[in-house]
Amino acid sequence: MGTKARASAPARRTGNVIRDSALGRVPETVDEIIALNGAVWQSTLVSPTLLEVVRLRNARTVNCVFCKSVRYEVARNDGLTEERVQLIDGNYQDSSLSEREKLAIALADCYLGFPAGVPPQLAQRLQAEFSVAEIAALLVALMSFNFTSRTAVSIGGMPEEPLPIMLLPVSVTTT
Amino acid sequence: MPVLTSPTSLDLDARLAGAGGPAESFKRLSASLWQQRYLSTELLELCRLTLARLHRDEVEIAAVNPHLGARALPVARRAAVLSGNSFRSTEFTPAEKAVLAFTECYALDAQSIADEVAEEAKAHLGESGLVFLIEALGCLDARIRAARCLRDLSAVAGGRHGH
Repeated sequence: MGTKARASAPARRTGNVIRDSALGRVPETVDEIIALNGAVWQSTLVSPTLLEVVRLRNARTVNCVFCKSVRYEVARNDGLTEERVQLIDGNYQDSSLSEREKLAIALADCYLGFPAGVPPQLAQRLQAEFSVAEIAALLVALMSFNFTSRTAVSIGGMPEEPLPIMLLPVSVTTT
Repeated sequence: MPVLTSPTSLDLDARLAGAGGPAESFKRLSASLWQQRYLSTELLELCRLTLARLHRDEVEIAAVNPHLGARALPVARRAAVLSGNSFRSTEFTPAEKAVLAFTECYALDAQSIADEVAEEAKAHLGESGLVFLIEALGCLDARIRAARCLRDLSAVAGGRHGH
């Protein structure tokens, strides 16, 4: 992973962490990226806990140091304690996570596979548990999280691990 | 199971619309990729095909990109990308080769993009252009992945469509 950033942030600071990052160098996209991040959390059809579960699964798979250390308050307030976050690991199937949370992780793993793809048996279980709109919501969330974390990793300049856990409001990226 | 020809990254949005605002936002972000000043539409399409090849996604490869309009992708350039031979091909400029090399590295593992590969792309695109390329690859790859998952879900008999 590049320890030196491959692109610098704009000189002017705005207080928005996305606009003040290297992404602020591309005015054609930065407003929509900020809007997307807000929409994923504020207009979603699934619970904040489910979103945070797939976000953290993505963060660990992509190995984004920042993404792994962040916890969103909205998910913590929804009941996703740090003890439960630790269950989102390789043995999650045998954990006390709920069936919906386990299936969301399984969908995330399918999306994050290379190549991506959903085996038929899992597809049936997903469709039995989630509505079409909920699956769409989870996929859009995964698209957003994966896009963001791989962008951060590709631009480089990641700090050394581990970072302390950072409990953040969603507004840190949207205002 | 039936082999479905849709959705692909190019017509995915209708299938995600049920997600509401976030899907609309991702649709707008994706559309903006094809109307910018950093990369030509043709080169962006070659990036999409590179990602599709690495995902071994024949449906994605076969999809016709409406953003190209009446301009057909030159056969030799398309073939070189789909065979993984863009590095050796004389069909591409050094700038195009740098972008396609970065695309391959990004697809295989974003953590492992070599500094030389990134520097070469930045030398041709500039700093802002490199950031745009990274964003574009993230969007295109996300759409290919989601489309593939949705095809697999649709292919399963007894899916709860319209639920």
